[in-house]
Amino acid sequence: MTRRLNVRVDHARCVGNAMCLATAPGVFAHNDQRQSEVIDPQGASEEKILEAAFNCPTGAIRVESAESGEQLFP
Amino acid sequence: MRASDLDELFAPEVIADPYTYFARLREIDPVYWNERFQLWVITGYEEVVWLLRHHELFSSAIMRNSASPPYPPVDPEDLPLFDEVREFRADQLVEQDRPEHLHQRTVVHEYFTPTAMESWRPFVRDAVAELLDELEPLGRMDVLTDLAAPLPVRVIAQMMDVPWEDRDYLRELADSILYMNRGEPYRLRPLTKGMQGILDYAAPLVEERLDRPGDDFISILAQGEKAGIFTRHQVLVNTGLLLFAGHETTMNLICNGLLAFIRHPDQWDLLVADPGGMARLATEECLRYDPPVKSTQRIAADDVRLGGATIRKGDRIRWIMAAANRDPAIFQDPDRFDIGRQPNPHISFGSGIHYCLGVALARMEGQEVFRALAERFGRFELATEEVEYQPSIQFRSLKSLPVRWETRNR
Repeated sequence: MTRRLNVRVDHARCVGNAMCLATAPGVFAHNDQRQSEVIDPQGASEEKILEAAFNCPTGAIRVESAESGEQLFP
Repeated sequence: MRASDLDELFAPEVIADPYTYFARLREIDPVYWNERFQLWVITGYEEVVWLLRHHELFSSAIMRNSASPPYPPVDPEDLPLFDEVREFRADQLVEQDRPEHLHQRTVVHEYFTPTAMESWRPFVRDAVAELLDELEPLGRMDVLTDLAAPLPVRVIAQMMDVPWEDRDYLRELADSILYMNRGEPYRLRPLTKGMQGILDYAAPLVEERLDRPGDDFISILAQGEKAGIFTRHQVLVNTGLLLFAGHETTMNLICNGLLAFIRHPDQWDLLVADPGGMARLATEECLRYDPPVKSTQRIAADDVRLGGATIRKGDRIRWIMAAANRDPAIFQDPDRFDIGRQPNPHISFGSGIHYCLGVALARMEGQEVFRALAERFGRFELATEEVEYQPSIQFRSLKSLPVRWETRNR
């Protein structure tokens, strides 16, 4: 069963490293300012999304369960 | 070039023009084994990025994991000093792997977020203006010693919150630490002296800020010690890292960028036409075209296939961002300096979990300098026949950059 996730990128932290775009390309894309935006929170598996969050060098990605609001990362 | 010459990483012509050499390597094999120095040289963009995003396969703990002596070689009687260098560097954030790296980086990256760094822009802008006010009437300067070196030291001194009158001493320490990546056979002597100087200088500051923290960078590190994440030695050597990493890289960005503009007057004119609007993209192109850092290292943590090669656990790897930034598979007309280039996915700040912590600061310093220069000056001219670079495989550092300009009545 896949649960729905809320995925957010904190633009105060994002430096446009694009690691999340490489890990979960269906979920993240760069905007004009070269910062990451969430284009589809269901665009990759939960595992991939959490991997992207875990490997973000600036800790800019937050992930929670859409139903329960449980914080999954950080 | 003969095949054996392809291993001469430090040949004078490679130091003078790394781009031709690394382009040749990339054509032969983007994952190239350098027999002479016993290391892999990675020059393809895709290969470099893949490597950087697999931190579990490629360790950053070079000092702990590699027993190789310094290269180019140092005076044999100085070799014992290399143990001091090892100890100093091994405890720095850049040499950590996960999980320690994540814990430590979490402590410091709050300080360096783009939003936090943006609040420094007025300080940087004023510092640039103050330096240029003094230089402008002279009609000539050495960009390196008169502008590019003093600026980052001013910023770092303020970030450390140390007395204004300590700036000269900090600059002296920073200058000694620059020997880290030089080629002189005697370099370990000034280097270790500078390292000891930083340890001694920072120790009382850390002591004081453990209990009475301010909002400066040393206080952030000291609070990390209080939380059990940093040891005291780690706090001290990371203070040194801030001084070093924020100094040489910014110096090179300013010097290499301005040299590119001098050699491409049409691009300079584009910037002069709209300094505020173009400074951001122009800085990115300077970073791509002639990056402050040419290459850095990893050590294979496991056997791994990369390109057509099998890299063995323990092998040393040099990944060449200066080469990846000119990979024609990614960048159209890669040898052209084009400040309008967009997108510009250069990897001059690296990629992956070790992505440059100071990226927002470096960008801002570059933007403010190029913008101010374009607002104030007409064309610059080189005041020397030839420029020379430090014989480093890691840094793209000019030895000096004398320029002159027509002074105009304001």
